[in-house]
Formats: sequence, structure tokens, C-alpha cells
Amino acid sequence: MNSVDVLHALLFVADAPAPVAALAKAADLTEGQVEQALEILEARLEDGGPLQLNRIAGGIHLSTKPEYAPVLARFVQPQKQRLSRSLLETLAVVAYQQPMTMGEIEQVRGVQSDYSVRVLLERRLLREVGRRESPGRPILYGTTEEFLHQFNMNSTADLPKIDPALAAAMPALEMAEAETA
Amino acid sequence: MKMPPRVADLETSATISALGIVAPPAIHVTTDTFDGSLATLFGLVRAQKIDLLEVPLLPICEAYFEYLMQARDASLDEAAAALAALSFLLERKAWRLIPIPEVEPEPYEESEELGLPSIGEYHLAISALEVWHEARSGLFFRSPDAEFLPYEVPVVLANARGVDLARALERLLRRSIQTEMPDLSRARKSLAGEMSRVYARLGASWICLAELVGEFSRREDAVYGFLAILELLRLGDAELKIDGEEPVFRRGNRVISGNPIRDLSQ
Repeated sequence: MNSVDVLHALLFVADAPAPVAALAKAADLTEGQVEQALEILEARLEDGGPLQLNRIAGGIHLSTKPEYAPVLARFVQPQKQRLSRSLLETLAVVAYQQPMTMGEIEQVRGVQSDYSVRVLLERRLLREVGRRESPGRPILYGTTEEFLHQFNMNSTADLPKIDPALAAAMPALEMAEAETA
Repeated sequence: MKMPPRVADLETSATISALGIVAPPAIHVTTDTFDGSLATLFGLVRAQKIDLLEVPLLPICEAYFEYLMQARDASLDEAAAALAALSFLLERKAWRLIPIPEVEPEPYEESEELGLPSIGEYHLAISALEVWHEARSGLFFRSPDAEFLPYEVPVVLANARGVDLARALERLLRRSIQTEMPDLSRARKSLAGEMSRVYARLGASWICLAELVGEFSRREDAVYGFLAILELLRLGDAELKIDGEEPVFRRGNRVISGNPIRDLSQ
């Protein structure tokens, strides 16, 4: 057994993103050796076969390649959970400024957000991460690993950088695009 | 365009009381927009009858300088008065040339508690999340939704699983008597009463769900009996184990002061 095959087997049975440290411990390798083996495995999977290696939610997780999605969807029939614009807004605000209270979320969005936060908590995309030591000790909210997984991110550092100038021009650009369309 | 004021119409008095000094000498000034003496120009500006922005002051300064050069024996007081008048004009024009800052409108606040929303900053992030979420939906992972959710079954079920109970209920419902849909306006059955009835049937020996609820009961009774045993399990008044494939139950050994089930049945 070579280390690449061992890691392939470990990742095959893992039903959640496996941290490199956990893989190293299970395979009795150093983390550096695991990284090297993962690179080989990633290239091997890219060359052929239906699987691909994803660095997601702080770990490594195997998935099927996107081109197999239609046939798999017919077989698995996943319940697609669409995220509305208000949910995405709330999620983006918390992802960038976490941890933050309900009041702070509402201050940024400018609208009442308790429904959005409740739905995101139920979907395990947000979680309570503590309480702010201020009057009333309001609950602090943060994003979860499920959020990273659902959006195919390794960490919140993958989020696009916010350029205030470009962000300010976005509504005008979108309007211009809409008019052109 | 304003016409140059006619000198004849203007007061060319010998004194300039506003300055509190003697009258300046008759320094004649000729520009494109004004033709007259320095004292006249001074008076017009003070009376706001002429727009100083339209009057170039360079010829006036040159006229004053020429006066100084030519009238060497002029009165010092008169020269000072002319200088004071000229200074006044220069200062007034300088102030007029300084751009006036535009007053920024006060930001509109919808509420005293909420500040201005800044969600616009997140447009790019939201768009990125939409794209990523769509792309992610094309990837399939091993049992991504098979994670155990602790809040689904908030009690210890020994070696049983939630699905074992669900299958037992399914089997019971298949054997139950189909009845018509009950009238929803009718008073519903009491779950507390059903719990008392089920609790009374529980003993030290293990019995299955059908024995507990009653074989060939009505479908409605089967559901109420199942809900009652679930609640008894949650309270610790019933125990559960899997015998073969069948979940079996017996009375729980919860030690508390007073028996809530007995209280409910009273």
C-alpha cells in the first residue's frame, strides 16, 4: 500500500471534510507527506474517473465531478434548498463581520432580520457563538462549517475582498446591465 | 452686463465718513466696467450698487501707484485715505473670490435606533455566494445529510434508533382499522389521558407497541398511543430496547417525588 492509495481509501469512507492532521494521524504520516500525497491523488483524479478532491471547510473531501450532476440528481433526488436574497444578504453580512448580534445585523441590512437568522440557524448555516458582554448580553452569531461546505469554501478567507469604491458603483452597474439586457 | 455707473449720479463728497478720515485724492480710474474716481468706486461698493467681481482692480492699483509717483508733495493723510479705500476694495474682492463651500445635506435617518444601512457594500459578496452555491449544488458528497442531529431524538433510546420506532408505527398503522376522517371541530383526545392509559399497561416485563396500544385499534388511537409512549420515553417513565427487529417497552424506573402520570390520571 502506498500513501496515496491509503489517503484515497480514507477519503472514500469519510462522510465529512477530513483535516490534514486527522489524515496524517490515521495514515501514520507527517502532514507534509499527506500534502504531497494529496497533490498526487488530486492530479490522478483529475486525469480520469468520476471523483474529484475538494479542499473544503478546513478539510479534504471527495465529491463527484460536476459533469455527473444531472445523472446523480436523477438517482439521489436531492432536496434542493434555495437561498433567498434576504438569506444570502444576512449570511454575507455575518460571514464578513462575525461574531455579531441581531441588532448589528439589522443595522447593516436596515431591515428586521430575526426571521432570516432563525431560518439560517435551522439550516445550520449560522450558529450561536456566545454572548456580548454588554447590557442585555445579546447573542452573538457566526457562520458554521456547514456554511463553508454549502458554499464550497475552505475558510471565510476565501470570501471576495470588499472594495468600497466598486461596491458603491455596483447598483449603478447592475442597473446599466439590466437596461442593456 | 451692468452699465458703468455715471459719475455725475454719484456722490463725490469730499469726505468718506465711513473711514473716519479725510477724503482721498481724486484718483481717476478707467476700466471696462467702471469709469470714475476711487472714492466713487468705494462708495458704490459699500452701497452694494456695483458688483466688485466685474471690476478689475489692477488698473486701480496702477492708478494709485502713479498718483504716489507723481504727487510727491501730496498730503500723507490723503494718500493714507486712498490706501485705506484701495485696501477695502482689495479685501472685499478677495472675500468674494473665495469659493463658498457647499453645505452638505443632513443624512436622512429612517429611525433613531437604526443607522444607515450599508448592505450595498456586500453586493459583490452576495453575488459570489450565489454563484458558489449554485456550483456547489453540482457536487455530490458521500452521505452529506446523514449526519446525526442530536436535536432529532432528545432522549436516550438504548440500542434503538428513531427509524426503528418509525417502522414499528408503520407496521401498527398497516394493521389498524381504517376509519373516516374525524370531525376536526370535535374535541380532540387528551394526550395526557392516553399517557395515563399507556402507562397503566406498562409493567416490569417488555411488551411490544401493538400490545401496548392495542392490536387492530383505530388508526387515530394508534397514533395517539404512539405519541403517548414517545412522551413517556422522554420523561423517563418508560424504557425501550430492540428485541430482534421489534422495539419493546416496559415501565421506567424514574425516581421522583410523586408520579406525574398518576397525577394526570386523577
